[in-house]
Amino acid sequence: MPHNVPCDFPPGYDGTEILQRLERVLDPELDESVLHLGFVGALRVRAGHADVALQLPTAWCAVNFAYLMAEDVRHALLTVEGIRRATVRLGDHCAAAEIEAAVNDGRPFAEAFPGEGAGSLAALRLTFQRKGFFGRQERLLRDLRATGHSPATICALRLGDASVRNDTIVIRRPGGVPVESGSAEVLLRYLERRAELGLDRSPAAPLIVDLDGAPLSAERLEAHYQTARTVRVAMEANGSFCRALLSLRDANPAAPA
Amino acid sequence: MYTHDGHDLFVIDGHMHFWDANPENWRTKYGESWIKCFYAFHSSLSPAEEVWPFDKFCRYGEAVLVDDLFRNGYVDMGTLNSTYLYEFYKNGFNSHAQNNVIKTKYPNRFLLCGSFDPRDEEAGVDAFRSMMADYPINGLKLYTAEWKDGSRGWRLNDPWAYKYLALAQELGIKNIHVHKGPTVYPLSADAFDVHDVDYAATDFPELNFIVEHVGLPRLDDFCWIAAQESNVYAGLSVAMAFVHLRPRYFGEIIANLLFWLGPDKLCFGSDYAIWSPKWLIEKFMAYQLPEDLKQEYHVDLTLDVKRKILGENMARLYGIDVAAQTAILSRDGIGARLAG
Repeated sequence: MPHNVPCDFPPGYDGTEILQRLERVLDPELDESVLHLGFVGALRVRAGHADVALQLPTAWCAVNFAYLMAEDVRHALLTVEGIRRATVRLGDHCAAAEIEAAVNDGRPFAEAFPGEGAGSLAALRLTFQRKGFFGRQERLLRDLRATGHSPATICALRLGDASVRNDTIVIRRPGGVPVESGSAEVLLRYLERRAELGLDRSPAAPLIVDLDGAPLSAERLEAHYQTARTVRVAMEANGSFCRALLSLRDANPAAPA
Repeated sequence: MYTHDGHDLFVIDGHMHFWDANPENWRTKYGESWIKCFYAFHSSLSPAEEVWPFDKFCRYGEAVLVDDLFRNGYVDMGTLNSTYLYEFYKNGFNSHAQNNVIKTKYPNRFLLCGSFDPRDEEAGVDAFRSMMADYPINGLKLYTAEWKDGSRGWRLNDPWAYKYLALAQELGIKNIHVHKGPTVYPLSADAFDVHDVDYAATDFPELNFIVEHVGLPRLDDFCWIAAQESNVYAGLSVAMAFVHLRPRYFGEIIANLLFWLGPDKLCFGSDYAIWSPKWLIEKFMAYQLPEDLKQEYHVDLTLDVKRKILGENMARLYGIDVAAQTAILSRDGIGARLAG
């Protein structure tokens, strides 16, 4: 697992599970793991109490997203066996005090920030889950195109035609030969988001669908791909921007930031 | 003016600042953390040798600006994107009045942006009219995420925003720069969301809307809107800075913008002093779109396209005749010294 989180565990404590849970927490705007992004500054476990220090790229990172991440981190920690209490800290973030007080107390955003408009963050989260769906699907489409599948073939594929062998996607159409078709992780991430959005995951369901779960015609595929591609570029560019900002904080923690 | 293989490229920096973030001007702790956030943008994406000390970054003054833009930075004209932030800075961050000090000295070098805040409602109308009468305002810069009296932002399609846009149009304004960029401090209202531009652009077809920072981190939403609305343009500041540290993403962003908007709607901006035009323009001119992106998107960043992006597109929006303006600028104080 690629991470460089300073961990402070009791003697003999196996931190594998807690790090795996943290790895699954995403920056909703970037659709990347907070662990991989380097947002987890420190992790400490003592007597069933987990304490995580988040370090976001700037003290001004949007409060709504900061809240979502802090809340998700706390929930993830509480699913770990033996962890009975979880505390998330936000360091020098401009709204650290308010977010920490609310999240660590299990109170919703709307209560912590009354009058900030949107109230519930559910809609915001869904918007970015849907963007992430496009981003993940674009990488799959890119792999399928690069391994020679035509638009007509891509649109005809069923979920049951795709499987994973080691780190590779294998596409096997009924009566056809297996074709290695890109990175298994790309397929698994796409299927995971598909499930989160409640889209059909039965073997007979089309592999490539739109956000309503409807199949695409070969004619529609190109325009769909062009849209997905722009969403992916936007998310990756933002992630890149955040990483650049964060690397500066890592390099020189005393710098004004 | 940037000269490439004997070709002159007229440069308009569509987004630059003449700010005062000196500690004496900080009204609250937010004045400090605002400029520190800008400084983080500056130091993380600039080439190491271009990073300034923090105190210079807080207030650099007129002589430094003139050198960085016009003497060393290839810029012919700069667009002063006034940003007020009175809740953070006692005298404002760079109000039109502060900016007009430098415009008065070099009147042909700058396009000056004024602004309005629809939350002032009726009470702000007279002040807006006075600003338009008393200052040589060329365009407007709107900052939808600005805090005011407990409000954390507003939207371009709010009823009072429409009244001000109509008034601005009546008073001769053509170009509206809208800040839609990296989330600095919008709370849940998500005040940098770009969809309000769609409504305003449809309802004010005579106005041009230049979306600063191409809506990053909402590049995708911006592209859908700009592809549909003929009067929506891309302001490239922030995106430009990727050319150094993240050239691949820069290429992907430019390829997407060329794909959805075409070469006539992209406008250079440095966001000076966050980034300096000299290195941005040198790296931009040296940059070639990677072959795979050219083929995938069926676009290219040719010299002709670069010329449009660096100045011609913005000149067209502001009705500037490049040849005539070049002649005028060659005779002003800066131009004469450059020639000498």
